[in-house]
Amino acid sequence: MLKRLTLAAMLSLGVATGALAAGERHGGTLVFTAPYGSSFATLDVQASPNTQEEFIAQAIHRALYSWDSIQNKPVLELARSEDVSEDGTVHTYHLRDNAIFHNGKPLTADDIIYSYRRIANPKNAFPGASYIAVIKGADDFIAGKAKEISGLKKIDDHTLEITFVGPINPGFSLMQNTTVIYPSDVKDESSFAKTPVGLGAFVFKEHVPGSQVVVEKFDRYYEEGKPYLDRINITLMGEDAARDIAFRNKEIDVSILGPTQYQAYQGEDALKDYLLEVAEVYTRTIGFNPSFEPFKDKRVRQAINYAINTPLIVERLVKNKAYPASGWLPLSSPAFDKDKAPYAFDPDKAKALLAEAGYADGFEFEVTASPNESWGVPIVEAILPMLKKVGITVKPKPVESSALGDAVTSGNFSAYIWSIPSGPDPLNALRCFLSTTPQSACNYSSYANPEFDTLFRAAEQERDPTRQSDLLRQANNIVQDDAPVWFFNYNKAVMAYQPWIHGLVPNATELAVQPYDEIWIDETAPDARR
Amino acid sequence: MRLGFNFWLGATLTVLVIFAGILAHWIAPFDPVLDADLMNSELPPDATFWFGTDGQGRDVFTRILYGAQISLTVGIVSQVINSIIGVTLGMTAGYWGGWWDDLVNGLTNVMLAIPSLIFALAVMAVLGPGLPSLLIALGLTNWSWTCRIARSSTLSLKSQGYVQAAQTLGYGDLRIMFTQILPNMMGPILVMATLGMGSAVLAEAALSFLGLGIQPPFPSWGSMLTDARQLIQLAPWAALFPGLAIFLSVLGFNLLGDGLRDSLDPHMRTRKP
Amino acid sequence: MLRFTLRRILQVAPTVVVVALLIFVIFSVVPGTFAVSLFADGKRAADPQLIARLNEEFGLNKPLMERFVTYVTDLARFDLGTSFRTRQPVVDLISDRMGASLQLSVAAMVFAIVVGVPLGFLAALRPGSILDTTTMIGAISGLSLPDFWFGLLLMYLFALQLNWLPSFGYGDGSLRNLILPAVTLGVAPLALLARTTRAGVLDVLNADFIRTAHSKGMSEAKVVRWHVSRNALVLIVTTVGLQFGSLIGQAVVIEKLFAWPGIGSLLVDSVAIRDIPVVQGTILVIVLWFLIINTAVDLVYAAIDPRIKQE
Repeated sequence: MLKRLTLAAMLSLGVATGALAAGERHGGTLVFTAPYGSSFATLDVQASPNTQEEFIAQAIHRALYSWDSIQNKPVLELARSEDVSEDGTVHTYHLRDNAIFHNGKPLTADDIIYSYRRIANPKNAFPGASYIAVIKGADDFIAGKAKEISGLKKIDDHTLEITFVGPINPGFSLMQNTTVIYPSDVKDESSFAKTPVGLGAFVFKEHVPGSQVVVEKFDRYYEEGKPYLDRINITLMGEDAARDIAFRNKEIDVSILGPTQYQAYQGEDALKDYLLEVAEVYTRTIGFNPSFEPFKDKRVRQAINYAINTPLIVERLVKNKAYPASGWLPLSSPAFDKDKAPYAFDPDKAKALLAEAGYADGFEFEVTASPNESWGVPIVEAILPMLKKVGITVKPKPVESSALGDAVTSGNFSAYIWSIPSGPDPLNALRCFLSTTPQSACNYSSYANPEFDTLFRAAEQERDPTRQSDLLRQANNIVQDDAPVWFFNYNKAVMAYQPWIHGLVPNATELAVQPYDEIWIDETAPDARR
Repeated sequence: MRLGFNFWLGATLTVLVIFAGILAHWIAPFDPVLDADLMNSELPPDATFWFGTDGQGRDVFTRILYGAQISLTVGIVSQVINSIIGVTLGMTAGYWGGWWDDLVNGLTNVMLAIPSLIFALAVMAVLGPGLPSLLIALGLTNWSWTCRIARSSTLSLKSQGYVQAAQTLGYGDLRIMFTQILPNMMGPILVMATLGMGSAVLAEAALSFLGLGIQPPFPSWGSMLTDARQLIQLAPWAALFPGLAIFLSVLGFNLLGDGLRDSLDPHMRTRKP
Repeated sequence: MLRFTLRRILQVAPTVVVVALLIFVIFSVVPGTFAVSLFADGKRAADPQLIARLNEEFGLNKPLMERFVTYVTDLARFDLGTSFRTRQPVVDLISDRMGASLQLSVAAMVFAIVVGVPLGFLAALRPGSILDTTTMIGAISGLSLPDFWFGLLLMYLFALQLNWLPSFGYGDGSLRNLILPAVTLGVAPLALLARTTRAGVLDVLNADFIRTAHSKGMSEAKVVRWHVSRNALVLIVTTVGLQFGSLIGQAVVIEKLFAWPGIGSLLVDSVAIRDIPVVQGTILVIVLWFLIINTAVDLVYAAIDPRIKQE
């Protein structure tokens, strides 16, 4: 599995670097599909809690940091360099002096302060506020107790000092599409929702409600020679089958594939060489509630892990569009432990463990599940006969997607199946298993293990990345052993692209989000798009 | 009373569905839930799996037989609820008249104004997916036509000699309604209920498609069809047969209802199919 | 006529009020909230602070009575509120979708009329013939089809196998995108129209004045043209009107299946993410639409046939 991932990463690297020799071509139109939802909610991306608006943000806007899909970590975007204080809490950013907003205003420290204040403004209730909360004093500002965010300090127009709440890597928070930088000289803030103005490589052109957003090349973009494309049509296509047809008809340039399409495309010569795969940072699991009597016993939870033929489900039902999970942290996580073996499929061992725990005759439990095909009711239906063989009766308890979160965060379940973010920051991902993290936040299975807590606290203080990863790896393995969940899979995202498209990257945080300024189109593209 | 070809065709289809439901346990070759081998998923129809297998490796034929139980339950129970609500409201409104009649009329108008699928969708959203919720949702949605028919039948029956005779004999209102009026309008009510069974089965499929169907893993035709939608290219049979089952059973109920209606009263018409 | 019109309009008002109250009550007890649904896709860990902040902003923490009063006073000013998701006025969202919905309904209706009425007419002229029997069995079959299965079959055949038509979506709003959803949506009204037309024409053909016309020596063609057409037309127009009024509400499943950006898919999507103001607004608009068309049909009917007013 791992081999295939790195191969995919190298392939796309090849796409990106090999292009240099071939010579990137300027011009052309990219027809990009946004695979989520049926309409853009708003063009004010700071206000948007939805995934589909990330595509707009990616084209039009820039944040202080950006995600580097090749290095697999956040990197500085709007600053050329930064100085970090001894204790790791104060960052001094030297901002780009050549970054210009689409309305002609040059970027200064004021714009960043303005944007962060707008995002954290309690009156706005924006989703990005929790990311800004990593800045010292932001909590008081969000709560309405302070008039300023005390951690933000302008040194001069192009120097900004930010004090954070701890020695964290602020990149994970300040690279989000909900923390992008807006110009501070726009009087009417409501205009951001209709005519967005940003620092990105593309300028907003038009929005056809319910259909698409069109952006065009920004001539004064700060990166020399970029972008290559003249125009991007970001088209909404939430339905897998719709994207499939449009892609085969060459109406769109890229398409995120669902499991059945992935299987189909792999079998077709014309399509199989143009698939970009990546292990995304989501872990799909069935979480157990320890207040349900049988789940109090670790052996019962482990037995369930042994009783389920996870690779078979991944192969047949998910059509290999996932990697069987061997623990909490996913393949693309820096703290992933490639030597840790996953729970083997071993019904006899499961039966033995159940007997030891006093459940030789089995028991019955319900899994609260949404209709999702990859981590919902169909998966519960698939494990049902497997668990029956070791004496456990499992029943799906179907709920609507919108009610799933309610049931899980309020602890109103005996088990649930969900997809949960487990990266890109391993520290943040494992925080969900800290005994002090409330059940309502993300410690859904009310996990508590002092040994884990010690390792995690040590990792939190550790500033050397290698040693930190090491500690987190150990912590991760403790979680795997305790089995607070059934480890199902890590999502594999797959994007099909037309042969004339170059510069796509395996973005592990969300494959559909691509660096538009790197993408270029060669001569073989259809005339209308060249 | 002469029953036409349509009636007999409808009756045959309906009896088939009833037999499928009742005998599923004995004639189905597999278990509808537990006989799921992922190694056998998406197999085309053959000698073992007559209608092929679905994405979970379950026998589609078996699940269709068992699915008949759900469809019949949904059809019959929802129509019993509908008829009870509709007849009770319509008959009392027609018999007593006055403010009660106005109130029932107003309520009927409200129910007719909200498309039944949307009303059922709202009720399902409140109660959550599952068979009991579905029975309640569909039982609450389609009583307005029954109510109107019950009301107008009552109005015309009220002036009949035997009802007036019963009144002069001092029979109580309820006794008159249940012994004199109700038996005389059972025909049209039965027709409405039979036609309503078809609508209920269709509504079950539509709600399943919108993610608000019954509780898996027990098969319903609507949920089988919805699940198979993703596989339309890989395993079209998984969608074809449940759809056919819905179509034929609804056709059966509709033909039966139509035939009954024609034989009861060739001139009786309702807006509703 | 004016008094009748006024009376009919006044009859509609209480219905609208009760519907508005009913949907408020239903959606105030619905489980799940918009804020929680944001995390349903599993892309981000649930953020309790954000959930609390959003619920606060949308006023969901306020007592039910207070929310109810706000809802009613806003409605009285024809204000449907603001969407949780887009933070735009609900009216704007609905008017954005109304065009696509009307397009679909009109196209479905046109299809139903163009095919259904002639079929019913021909069937009625030769009752008992093979054409009549086939048409009537066909009509009842059309009423028995699960609509999304039928849509799926059309999609499979015409889009996936033959590649003639796009399978999904609005595209640039061209006719090609409209055909499959409109045909799927039009099948039920088509079947109903064929039946109604046949019944209406048969009724008229058997009526006394037609027999009189025959006895006066008018040719059959003339009889059909003069009397039957005009009298059956009233029935057909009524059926078309009523069907048209309810079609927007019936389109929910088909709009969802074909990813058609109409009011129905807006409603379903909004229910799924608990964007309650939009849910309430769309249902209200669908109901209003139905009532307006119904009232209009009644008025037209009354204008043609004055006896109705005495009813």
